[in-house]
Amino acid sequence: MKTITVMDPVTRIEGHMKVEITVDTSGGIQQIVDARCTGTLFRGFETLLNNRSPLDAPLITQRICGVCPISHGQAAVLALENVSNWLPPTNARLLRNLTLGADFLQSHILHFYLLAALDYTAGPASQPWTPAWQIDLRPGLETVAANLPKAIAARRQAHEMGAVFSGKMPNSNSYIPGGFTTIPTAKDIDAYRRHLAALTAFIETTYLPDVKKVGEVYKDYFQIGAGCRNLMAFGAFEMDDSGSTRLFARGSIENGGVDVQPTLATTEITESVQFSWYANQTNNLPPTAGATVPEYPKGEAYSWIKAPRLRGKPFEAGPLARMWINRTYQGGISVMDRHVARALEAVKIAKAMSGWLDGLTPEKNAYDNTYDQYSGVGIGLSEAPRGALGHWVKIVGNKIAHYQVITPTCWNASPRDDQNVPGPMEQALIGTPIKDPNQPIEALRVIHSYDPCLSCAVHIMRPDKKPVVVFPGRQ
Amino acid sequence: MRIHRRHFLKYCIGSAAVLGLPLTVLGKLEQALADATVPLPKVLWLNGANCTGCTVSLANLFSASGPTDIADLLVNTIDLAFHPNLMGAAGDLAVKQLKDTAQGNFILVVEGGIPTAFNGHSCLLWSENGKDVTAMEAVQMLAPKADVVLSVGTCASYGGIPAGDPNPTGIVSVSQLTGLPTINIPGCPTHPDWIVWTIASLLAGSVPPLDAQRRPKALFGKKLHEICPRKGREEADIFGIPGECLKEVGCKGPETFADCPARKWNSGTNWCVGAGAICAGCTEQGFPDRFSPFYKVAYSYKEFTKPADNPQQPTQGSLTFTRAEWRSDTKVLIAEGKGKAGQIVTISRSDSGLQLGAVSVNTAGTWRFQQTAPQFIPSLMAASGGEITLRTVIRK
Repeated sequence: MKTITVMDPVTRIEGHMKVEITVDTSGGIQQIVDARCTGTLFRGFETLLNNRSPLDAPLITQRICGVCPISHGQAAVLALENVSNWLPPTNARLLRNLTLGADFLQSHILHFYLLAALDYTAGPASQPWTPAWQIDLRPGLETVAANLPKAIAARRQAHEMGAVFSGKMPNSNSYIPGGFTTIPTAKDIDAYRRHLAALTAFIETTYLPDVKKVGEVYKDYFQIGAGCRNLMAFGAFEMDDSGSTRLFARGSIENGGVDVQPTLATTEITESVQFSWYANQTNNLPPTAGATVPEYPKGEAYSWIKAPRLRGKPFEAGPLARMWINRTYQGGISVMDRHVARALEAVKIAKAMSGWLDGLTPEKNAYDNTYDQYSGVGIGLSEAPRGALGHWVKIVGNKIAHYQVITPTCWNASPRDDQNVPGPMEQALIGTPIKDPNQPIEALRVIHSYDPCLSCAVHIMRPDKKPVVVFPGRQ
Repeated sequence: MRIHRRHFLKYCIGSAAVLGLPLTVLGKLEQALADATVPLPKVLWLNGANCTGCTVSLANLFSASGPTDIADLLVNTIDLAFHPNLMGAAGDLAVKQLKDTAQGNFILVVEGGIPTAFNGHSCLLWSENGKDVTAMEAVQMLAPKADVVLSVGTCASYGGIPAGDPNPTGIVSVSQLTGLPTINIPGCPTHPDWIVWTIASLLAGSVPPLDAQRRPKALFGKKLHEICPRKGREEADIFGIPGECLKEVGCKGPETFADCPARKWNSGTNWCVGAGAICAGCTEQGFPDRFSPFYKVAYSYKEFTKPADNPQQPTQGSLTFTRAEWRSDTKVLIAEGKGKAGQIVTISRSDSGLQLGAVSVNTAGTWRFQQTAPQFIPSLMAASGGEITLRTVIRK
């Protein structure tokens, strides 16, 4: 018998999400046979950026997400500077990398210990961690749960480290086109270095071993939740002043292969609206032309999130994609591989940060007042902790004339496209075995492995009435 | 995680000066917390049209005077029955938890403004019997039952950034929606100390004195500029000059009420102006539109369409541009390239055509331009000699 389970709210993510899964027995195994992911918050950031001063974009777009604001600040300044064909001074590049790195580390630690770990082991015996589903929580991970207070302190320290240069975390007003407002002093650099040493120790001796422990107890999750097996990254952390080499390379791979396509032309990106409440004449437009023409109700549409596609295909973004494209981790594509890649990535970033710190010139200005803002079109590509992030901007008459953001969660939690191909997370859910449809913890594990951030999914919107949609195969 | 709830009191005493808690409040707080049989106050935390930034900021709570951090707060001070980002339960179990708690006494915390467009359906909090419950419905249902309603962050307090013009989803504040007086703890994000200070005051049994924007006067009583260490310093007209007052480049300190200069952020690490950045006025009603455009910095704006997708590629022809570099340590501008022997190459700023000088291509077919302390440093440099090639200037 088919059971339809609606998980709403999906908790321990950033933002608002609803997932509807259909559970049925197939080949003797009770499993998810259909999945629909719906984000449930729309704020319209792209609309409210129109007609504002270009300089306001880094400050305003950071408020898209309180967990990864720095990535938005970074993408916004890169987009504005791209319009002017301008490259920031060395100190600005390094200070931006160090601030972004600090936010990555806090986000990865937050994700594993506060958002994901409770899917594998019981949390502290008090609210808000109780009550929780009591199903398939395997013994042997008590030490992981016991590290929660330590992880909370480490995450907080990552933000304190970031604030040394960025003023405050979350949200930094130091991101401006032309550079970075901070002048790093030798004292600041020392303070930052002390934080980094403590965090590196935590990541290497606690976080990474804890993730490996979870992987040993839940070995079966190396075989669950593969998804679309296409991986993409815009790349981030510029390693030289020309901005052409990055700690995380730009590129994509298809169908779980090992051959990386190093080029990733943004002209290959389109957004499908077949299953989204937008007029079909806007189907498959690139983000530079992406008009937003709402149409509701509309056929089989079930989401206000558009479906971004690269070369017409869905792609997974995130730490696993970045590490895979860099050939640093090519273990597999699954729920547990995502966790392992995320922890290994934290180690890699922490080590690189030490080098960036060495590269800073103390007392040297990181803002260049010769910066000119030009009119025209610019693209800012970077990475958020949870995957590829792109800002597209058009400036006319010293005002923002068009702004488009495609966030990692738009890629990962996207609905079906015009070829009826489900989004990466939907594909990962389908085929996942479920013990008890009333406590589908297995589905939660798949969803959390992507670290979805629905605050980020700026396109997402729900209509004024619940849609009456008859899904194929539903009774 | 066995931390005694009295540690919270220790924190409040140790930080009394920083937090601004009067002794009378501390005394009542001690009585309230000393009795372990008294149940902890229940808190329901709803996320409206938020970004989770205020929750993340709350997680940055730390006190040097005690072992108090977010875990201590959650375990020993309040009973956080519902918080979508933190709670163990999901789906129906989470909703049941909220409903059960709402039967008794509770504090309602709202993070994020409340969208009213699409009849509130651009922000859905949970489903019940197949029906979506909007943030608008949830707040309207719970706020009148709550002992006190805390609007955490500028969005819940006044609408905030998502309510900026043209307010695409019709966002209103919690008090605008419900007509109820809320205690507002604004900030984008808000400061963890401000949340704890307010909760401590409430636990001690008193609603702290509020200003006209319903913010605690003890925290938001002074203009930021009045207590800023840069007040009275020379006024900067560009960024990147240490220690100068940033009023003339757009700092909103003179119009913003908050104690950031004294309290600072991230356990006293730094604050916006401390990092040479402007105060954006984030604790004020009317943020962002009251202050947007945020910057007054004078940069030149150019109506200019960049020549090609990749201007670093030379245009067709014999003239090429292989290097363009500004060395700020030696103040030398260097440009290099190739061309036809004898060809005259003019170096200029690509947009305005302002010339820096000219060189000729040598017999080996290369040219080199070098100038110490040039009158300006172009962002995009042009080399021309019958044809034009462009290159972005790398700054070193």
